[in-house]
Amino acid sequence: MLIVDDRVTGATKEVLAAGVALGMPRREAEALAPFATVLIRDQGEESRRFEPVVEAIEALIPRVEVVSPGLVFVPISGAVRFYGGEVVLAELVEKEMTRLVGQVRGGLALVGVADGPFAARWAAITADAGRPNIVDDTIGFISRLDLAALRESLNADELIDTFRWLGVSTLGDLARLPREALATRFGNPGLLAHRLASGEDRLVDFREIPADLAVDASFEEPLESLDAVAFAARALAERLLKGLRASGVAPHRVSVLAEAAAGGPRERIWRSADPFTEKALSDRVWWQLRAWVESGGIPGGISRLRIAPADLSDEGRQLGLLQDETSRIEAERALARAQALLGPDGVLQGRAQGGRMPQERVAWSRWGEPPVDQDRDPHAPWPGATPSPSPALVPSRLRSLEVEWDDGMPTRVRLATRWEPVLTWSGPWRLSGRWWTGEGDADRYQLVTSVGAFLCVVTGGRAYLAGVYD
Amino acid sequence: MGIGTVASLLDQERREEGYLHLQPGRVTELLGLPGTGLTRLGLRLLATPSLTGPVVALDTRRWISPEAAWETGVIPENLVIVRCDQPQIWPKVTAALLEGVRALYAEVPVGAKEQDLRRLAALARVRKVAVAMRPMGNGLPSGVAHLRLRALGVTWEGADQGHGQLRRRRLVLEASGKGAAGVTRRFEVEDEGSHVVRVVSHMVPGEARRAVG
Repeated sequence: MLIVDDRVTGATKEVLAAGVALGMPRREAEALAPFATVLIRDQGEESRRFEPVVEAIEALIPRVEVVSPGLVFVPISGAVRFYGGEVVLAELVEKEMTRLVGQVRGGLALVGVADGPFAARWAAITADAGRPNIVDDTIGFISRLDLAALRESLNADELIDTFRWLGVSTLGDLARLPREALATRFGNPGLLAHRLASGEDRLVDFREIPADLAVDASFEEPLESLDAVAFAARALAERLLKGLRASGVAPHRVSVLAEAAAGGPRERIWRSADPFTEKALSDRVWWQLRAWVESGGIPGGISRLRIAPADLSDEGRQLGLLQDETSRIEAERALARAQALLGPDGVLQGRAQGGRMPQERVAWSRWGEPPVDQDRDPHAPWPGATPSPSPALVPSRLRSLEVEWDDGMPTRVRLATRWEPVLTWSGPWRLSGRWWTGEGDADRYQLVTSVGAFLCVVTGGRAYLAGVYD
Repeated sequence: MGIGTVASLLDQERREEGYLHLQPGRVTELLGLPGTGLTRLGLRLLATPSLTGPVVALDTRRWISPEAAWETGVIPENLVIVRCDQPQIWPKVTAALLEGVRALYAEVPVGAKEQDLRRLAALARVRKVAVAMRPMGNGLPSGVAHLRLRALGVTWEGADQGHGQLRRRRLVLEASGKGAAGVTRRFEVEDEGSHVVRVVSHMVPGEARRAVG
């Protein structure tokens, strides 16, 4: 079972047969298939293993830009002239890749050539192993792509579904729609979708980048341990983004440069379609440094580290009118520290979901992780749901409660060591159980005492506490 | 005289509604027995800060339901529930949160040390964090809270010997401390499950006491 971001992304037939589904949270999957071997994606390790591939490409063409382990972009206009044509160059790269990757564990090296990163990526994805896909007519190639090609660039599944619902199925169909209408109706995501569909990748901003936006750190004692390198990477990434935010810009590409204590400098460019976030940038800097250190590419340790923005845009996170980016980042740091103290299950977020009992109406997920998929629509009618106001205190499972009854009417309730008279109550409201799963019916009461009100469930002749209206 | 009376009532209402808003760098203490509606009130205090960024409810009993917070107007995406049932690390967790969040509703476990509470109040002041503290045991030591809201009683409307349902809660509160200008005042708030928690009555000020905080 392969886990990425705490979700199942791959599984064997045996694991799937046990009820595990792709996209399922890890814990749920482990409960269903305790026999499965869990493999957790380690992008740092992937980056380390990918480093020889990047170096091999870099030996052929300078200015390699890494997007993630497994995907690189290379601007080839200069190299094409040097090697005598796109076909020669692409075949050379493909041959070198096949030598490095294809022979190892049956890997595939796919090479695509097109105008712009978006088209080049899809050219590579649609290429055959051993045959580079050289696209002469980029706009024609893009127009034949299915709308799903936009999924990663837009990260807006709902928008793609809406386009499909409107009868748009390819990027060509989308490109034929008036851009102004898309921008008016769907805002920035609609505009970006139209640009990509029209073969207009995000334009690189050629403005001069002031040198003082780069951040660097020198180390008297060269960094050799991975822990020290990780710490330095994070601190430097934070400093870079803080400075850029103050200037109102965001980086799409960064150059990471490390000087070895006993050798020359190493430099690598990382690219991202969206502006780098603090975590994304520190992850990439850390992966790169780890790859260099573990492959012995930094003899004597790192004596100087520099991160410089290579391409800036005014794009940032789209914030609400009242939202404050700085406070969000500070809060994220604070919550990460709390999570480190309490463990991942100590910091949670809830999302509304449908249900009749308060326990059912909140879908919990760990803070920082994607919310749990839920199919209980909170806006659907849930007949018999307990009405608002909701109890402010809800135990995760029903707690036993002693209630004294007189002819079906609650008279006293035991709270800790003393009995409190029930002043008034409402109910019972019948909750029909799923008889086909052996679940019995239950009656719910709201009990009001002089020390507060309670939601009480009676089932199988016993009373349980379901919530406190505190 | 009539005009003067109206103005005076409006001032009073504004002041009492002000008690239901957290102030940056200040600690508001919510004191009262479990069941008196202070959890919901504490969550309600996070509603305004949640408009601008993440807010946190620190839950020592592991029972706080975000649904009640959403009903009081807290933005769901901006509410984080931190569950800490270990009193020994509670001060560290609270301090970590005060370092970054703008508003915090924190249950204070029984046996929390006075020194820790004073340090946390100082940290909240330095970091300008709006804090509501709900002691699970005795009240906070004097000087920690800028405003103390003590629940004196709660009454429910809507349920009647098996008929109806709980609809409206009226909570009688007593405000005291520096945040109440050293005067102990009583007022009543009403909560119908929507995000409006409103001041519904103006009671006579209680006897003046020495200001705390």
